[in-house]
Amino acid sequence: MSEVEMAVIKPEMMKSYIWLQTADGAIQQVEQEVAMFCPLICHEVIHKGMGSSKNYAISLPQRVNPAMLSLILDYCRFHQVPGRSNKERKSFDEKFIRMDTKRLCELTSAADSLQLKPLVDLTSRALARIIEGKSPEEIREIFHLPDDLTEVSGACGNCVCLASQFPYVYNFNIDYILQEEKLEPLKNTTDDPRIRLLNRLYAKKRKELKEREKLKNVEVEEERVDERSVDDLLSFINGKERDSKVIKSSKNKKKHRRKKDQPKNTCSNEATKTHKQESNGLNLVCLSAEVGYKFRPDLGESSNVQNVEDDIFVRKVDFEDVDVDDEIDPALKEKIDREVEDFARRLNSDWPERMQEILSLGQDMRPLHHSINGNGTITKYAK
Amino acid sequence: MLKKMSYSSFPEDLLEHVFSFVQSDKDRNAISLVCKSWYEIERWCRKRIFVGNCYAVSPRVVIRRFPDVRSVELKGKPHFADFNLVPEGWGGYVYPWIVAMASGYPWLEEIRLKRMVVTDESLELIAKSFKNFKVLVLSSCEGFSTHGLAAIAANCKNLRELDLRESEVEDLSGNWLSHFPDSCTSLVSLNIACLGSEVNFSALERLVGRCPNLRTLRLNRAVPLDKLANLLCRAPQLVELGTGTYSADLRSDVYSNLAGAFSGCKELKGLSGFWDVVPAYLPAAYSVCSGLTSLNLSYATIQSPDLIKLVSRCPNLQCLWVLDYIEDGGLEALAASCKDLRELRVFPSEPFGAEPNVSLTEQGLVCVSEGCPKLESVLYFCRRMSNDALVTIARNRPNMIRFRLCIIEPHTPDYLTLQPLDVGFGAIVEHCKDLQRLSLSGLLTDRVFEYIGTYAKKLEMLSVAFAGESDLGLHHVLSGCESLRKLEIRDCPFGDKALLANAAKLETMRSLWMSSCNVSFKACKLLGQKMPRLNVEVIDERGPPGSRPESFHVEKLYIYRTVAGPRFDMPDFVWIMDEDSALRLS
Repeated sequence: MSEVEMAVIKPEMMKSYIWLQTADGAIQQVEQEVAMFCPLICHEVIHKGMGSSKNYAISLPQRVNPAMLSLILDYCRFHQVPGRSNKERKSFDEKFIRMDTKRLCELTSAADSLQLKPLVDLTSRALARIIEGKSPEEIREIFHLPDDLTEVSGACGNCVCLASQFPYVYNFNIDYILQEEKLEPLKNTTDDPRIRLLNRLYAKKRKELKEREKLKNVEVEEERVDERSVDDLLSFINGKERDSKVIKSSKNKKKHRRKKDQPKNTCSNEATKTHKQESNGLNLVCLSAEVGYKFRPDLGESSNVQNVEDDIFVRKVDFEDVDVDDEIDPALKEKIDREVEDFARRLNSDWPERMQEILSLGQDMRPLHHSINGNGTITKYAK
Repeated sequence: MLKKMSYSSFPEDLLEHVFSFVQSDKDRNAISLVCKSWYEIERWCRKRIFVGNCYAVSPRVVIRRFPDVRSVELKGKPHFADFNLVPEGWGGYVYPWIVAMASGYPWLEEIRLKRMVVTDESLELIAKSFKNFKVLVLSSCEGFSTHGLAAIAANCKNLRELDLRESEVEDLSGNWLSHFPDSCTSLVSLNIACLGSEVNFSALERLVGRCPNLRTLRLNRAVPLDKLANLLCRAPQLVELGTGTYSADLRSDVYSNLAGAFSGCKELKGLSGFWDVVPAYLPAAYSVCSGLTSLNLSYATIQSPDLIKLVSRCPNLQCLWVLDYIEDGGLEALAASCKDLRELRVFPSEPFGAEPNVSLTEQGLVCVSEGCPKLESVLYFCRRMSNDALVTIARNRPNMIRFRLCIIEPHTPDYLTLQPLDVGFGAIVEHCKDLQRLSLSGLLTDRVFEYIGTYAKKLEMLSVAFAGESDLGLHHVLSGCESLRKLEIRDCPFGDKALLANAAKLETMRSLWMSSCNVSFKACKLLGQKMPRLNVEVIDERGPPGSRPESFHVEKLYIYRTVAGPRFDMPDFVWIMDEDSALRLS
């Protein structure tokens, strides 16, 4: 019988099939309704007219190997049936993702390349659950990732020292962040006039302190390399005045609001006060201690030390005051040029504005940023 | 990274999608430590950060590392500020953060602050800098007035939460509430319980009426009871309600209106407020009791019988805050009725009275520990305790996570044996293996610290007052408690030795507070010199420590780890010990 005759007698036998080709060259046909569940395949069929025969098989993305295709089609075959309940679907999903992590990663990637969002979400969530509650070492092992955070980028002996001696220093925990500058001490970037200026400022400050201390006949402390970030230095130079202004204004406001003081007599007031701030018995203990603790502040000499110190830091910095005082070895110069450029870029204070610009162009557009590959090279990537 | 993976390449935006399902700080931090590329990807997509100590890092550094944050949570003053141990003017200013974030995070949506100084300037800057601002939570903050609130109300078009819990607000005008434009209908949570004076009630009514998603409403004391029904009728969808004053002349119409309004609130799960309670009005709220999971009666000066009547109607109660008027009898009733109880806080009604005014003893707590299998968080003020009771509680509730016991009088021994309470607290740490927070009180020797150092491996926060005998106590804690993050100590004979011997430990913790202890100025200087990643703050209102001999004990000491270096917004009674201060101050 010819195909046409077959179709007349048993129409249901003539299901439509879509032809798919995986990157390894293998070609297979898949029931239309199943394959069309994948947006990418759907697009190819509808907008490009592909997939109707072996010669016009749809080439699937490289990330979809035959094994992954098979899994994805199982998923599609189940979910494309309209009558299923949510409970059924959920149950299927839970069983479906039970596989080893390697396959799960492959599947996530394959589903992503076929734009099958529900499966991408399902597998991504599963991967997220694998990651949760694990230590970095455990995660590294599961996903076969390099332990390259403790490697040093750049010629910087200090970094290695830091990383090995103080493992938690290298913990990028938000509660205790080690910013990138810590890895690049100031002396690497003497080309930048601002850094040189700051170094000079520090030298000046040290000198003044030493002089003052000489007058007081105190033993001189050994000079230490200042490891503070340049940003902090810049911000305190520029920010100190504002901070003191803020302090003043808030203090004035509080002058006539001495609420938090000595205990009053009425009990309910105290009860209100004591637990108003989630107190524990220590509050009462404070107050009972205060009764006996009649220590009056003995101010002694009202020292001006603090004020002098303020002067040093608040003094306006004149950027024109820079002169070439550091002789740099020409051989070194080339080597540190790249680091200086990088460092200067980060010091550049219009960076936040640039970010704002980019972000305001639209939520969809992602900023360009650098990614450091495992082999140490830097590549830019943007969405 | 992609090349090292033995299977097909995993694009970075897909990895970011996976990360979007990982939200806890701990897990995000772990991700950032896996490898360089994960660090990079993670930092670009982190949306929420929590900075436990605003001086641990500078806002600039945070913004540079996490460029796309939408939600920031900051904490300022140390916990002991709640007990007036941190002098006014110490610090914790949020303004520099707001300034930095105004340019760095224009899309910021949420700011949550605790124990920080927030000025009207800061609030005004928030109001005009963040176009999509949604959530402002100010917990135990101070320094601002109702003018600042008006700016927030007027300018934040999509405001969802305004929560002023326990902040000190300068009440200049109740009209700030009227600054919410008529077009503002987005409020989900409004907590103004801490405000002293009256707010414009009709503005409040209209606001409540036009916000269909309002779930949490906590009124201040100035809102009279007879107006409560009106508000409830406009917001029957409320899940959490804080009443205003719960007292009025006994009038049947007021009562029936109130009862009717309450019965319309089918979703209500939490109740608080109840200032000046008139017991006769309590039954008006009975209709919601069966659904309540949270009840805060810490301002309700009602006696045990009324409390029992109320509490026994709440079988689904999970969290109860109450005054000690509940007495042992009331706690017994609680244990019998509320099998789902997770958290109990009992506050003292007359903490300064020499004699107990209520019959609340250790028995009440023992009872609850027996009857409530899910009890895991306790804050309990009482006047007597015994080792036996503590051991019983420990054995009953090995699932305890937070245990804060406050025996009102310092150095109170076991009332039965007159022994220290070392053994009792020892039992707590030994049996409650997941204990995260502990507050000690009563007569305690170094032994209790030995127990704590030995057993309390998950302990993150420890509060100690009037306890211990020698440096050994402090040493046990610092050397033994592996998970310790915050340690606060007052009036204990702990000195230099333990502190210096465990200096490295301090870098693994968020902070250490020691006041009225035996730490010398010399030790502070030494610590400051040797540990550049710590800020060692000497807080001394008696004048510069340098003007006294080095061996002199400092008044207060606050040590915290930081990558921001010493701060420069200190008042004149705070000195930071670092290598330069040694030159400056000696």
